Amino acid sequence: MEKNIYIPDLAKIIRIDSVTANEKIFDIAFIDKEVQKSFNFKPGQFVELTVFGVGEAPFCVASNPRNNDKFQLCVRAVGSVSKALHNLKEGAKVGIRGPFGKGVFPYKEAEQHNVLVVAGGMGLVPLMSFLTYMMDLREQYKNVMIIYGAVNPANILYKNEISYWNSRDDISVCVTVDNPDDKWTGEIGVCTKLIPRVDFKPEDTYTIVCGPPVMYKYVVQELEKKNFKEDKIFLSLERRMECGVGKCNHCHIGEKLVCVDGPVFSLWELRNIKEAI
Amino acid sequence: MLYKVLKKGSYDLFLAKLIADFEFIGPVKKDKATHDFKKISDIRKLDVNYKRTTIAPAKKILYPSTETLLQYEINEDIEMSVDYEAGEKILFGIDACDVNGLNFLDRFFSDEMIDEPYFSKRRKLTVIGLDRMPSDTNFSLSLGKEYAKDGFDLFLTDLNNRYFVRVGSEKGNDILTKYADVSDAGEDDFKDYNKFMDTYRKSFKLKADINNLYDNYELIYNNKDFWNRVAKDCYSCGSCCLVCPTCFCFNVRDDMELNLKKGAKTREWDSCMIPEYGLVAGGHNFRPDKENRLKQRYRCKLKTFIDRFGTYSCVGCGRCIEACLAKINIAEDINAVKKEVSV
Repeated sequence: MEKNIYIPDLAKIIRIDSVTANEKIFDIAFIDKEVQKSFNFKPGQFVELTVFGVGEAPFCVASNPRNNDKFQLCVRAVGSVSKALHNLKEGAKVGIRGPFGKGVFPYKEAEQHNVLVVAGGMGLVPLMSFLTYMMDLREQYKNVMIIYGAVNPANILYKNEISYWNSRDDISVCVTVDNPDDKWTGEIGVCTKLIPRVDFKPEDTYTIVCGPPVMYKYVVQELEKKNFKEDKIFLSLERRMECGVGKCNHCHIGEKLVCVDGPVFSLWELRNIKEAI
Repeated sequence: MLYKVLKKGSYDLFLAKLIADFEFIGPVKKDKATHDFKKISDIRKLDVNYKRTTIAPAKKILYPSTETLLQYEINEDIEMSVDYEAGEKILFGIDACDVNGLNFLDRFFSDEMIDEPYFSKRRKLTVIGLDRMPSDTNFSLSLGKEYAKDGFDLFLTDLNNRYFVRVGSEKGNDILTKYADVSDAGEDDFKDYNKFMDTYRKSFKLKADINNLYDNYELIYNNKDFWNRVAKDCYSCGSCCLVCPTCFCFNVRDDMELNLKKGAKTREWDSCMIPEYGLVAGGHNFRPDKENRLKQRYRCKLKTFIDRFGTYSCVGCGRCIEACLAKINIAEDINAVKKEVSV
């Protein structure tokens, strides 16, 4: 019999790191080692996580797909499931279904091209799977630029990774904040402001975007001003999801389902779908 | 397909035998205004002469409004179990457009991934359809859904002194052979069947001009005035979805028993017309206004599955027209799109 699409596999939280006041990183491994071994996700895919007794919610995997002994989620405590997840301790068991989503970041297509990554707030989290993968195989890609906007310095995620990228001379990183504090010496303002500085050739560049829904329209406008190609711009979309497998329908946009056809789409795919961005 | 004829005189006996041997579900008069598909143990309760539509649609047998997906028990370990056990059932007296509704759900719940809760019941359901004259709000003819080509085990058409029987499956043939006295349909039977079908197709009062809607929809999409007019009286109550034979949206929730040991995942019907439908954690709502929700519903019914399955997901049964408190009429709105674009 086929595997029942609604039954999660049991997994254990093996490590919890508080990264900001409201965000924690969870290292998770399936209890069944065979399940863990066969858990091969692609950059941009998501899982449905169950906190038993509370509910289930979708989260993009944040870790490097090349590591298959565990995986990582970075979660902001904002809904009922994410708040309950924050209350769990290391060793707690959760349910995991997935990985889901056919639309993933163009990690293969972007090889031998420049890569521009634009992240807003929590949008950096799904991108981490792609970024860590790309850093592993850095020589496969041409110039890499990461633009990351956060509300304030305290909200900046993955500070260690960012300073590591900064230490490398083959990656250019620009972090900007909306509300700087006294110590902030970096860029100020929304991340779209930094796009005009990108000097990659449009036809030779893949752009990958993830951030809050309000951000996309403005990022796309800036990219279009630079004549970036629609089929080389990829955006990861958020929608309400109950099932993750194309049945509950909450995530539909036009004839597409974000859970099955996405969550990552090219701008070309979204062009004719009303209200996608 | 096999074609048989069942004499009027042996119809009651045929049904009585089925009622005796199976869990038999058929249309029953619920109150003055409504009929519903219910379990029948006395043939006198069966009432196929309903003028409106059954509420709720027959999908509830395969896809109940609330259904347990998964049970679990939290001890040292977490043990999960499923119980979709379903008995053999006969669904009798479902009309052609409703059979097409089931056909849509069969396709939908098996698309890419199998929905086991649905199919555990579907595999054990025998469908015996029955043609009937269209209700006042039925516009299935306009959508090509007034006739069911498949999706049933047996389909009966009343030709006054006999029933014309289309046999759609081996299971249907076995039932017919075991429980009914039938003969092969001949030329005269086909002739009368054709007469019936012609009369039937001429009886549709409500019509929708769906031609070009696929393209026109894209133009009308941004016409704010149009959607404000169409959705003006919508209460966002979701009744249209609850009575729809093809609506499939659901929410999933986790519940714990008071001992905090045993819990379950339950799915329940949701409606895209309800304001919370597009709400995500953090408070952003992707579908905050009713105009947007209504046009999305129309898109889902009339366009989305042209792209995905090559068919409308609306079967034109007219239940939503009957159920709508604000008298929103999908058939009239289809015509209104045409008029808005053409005039």
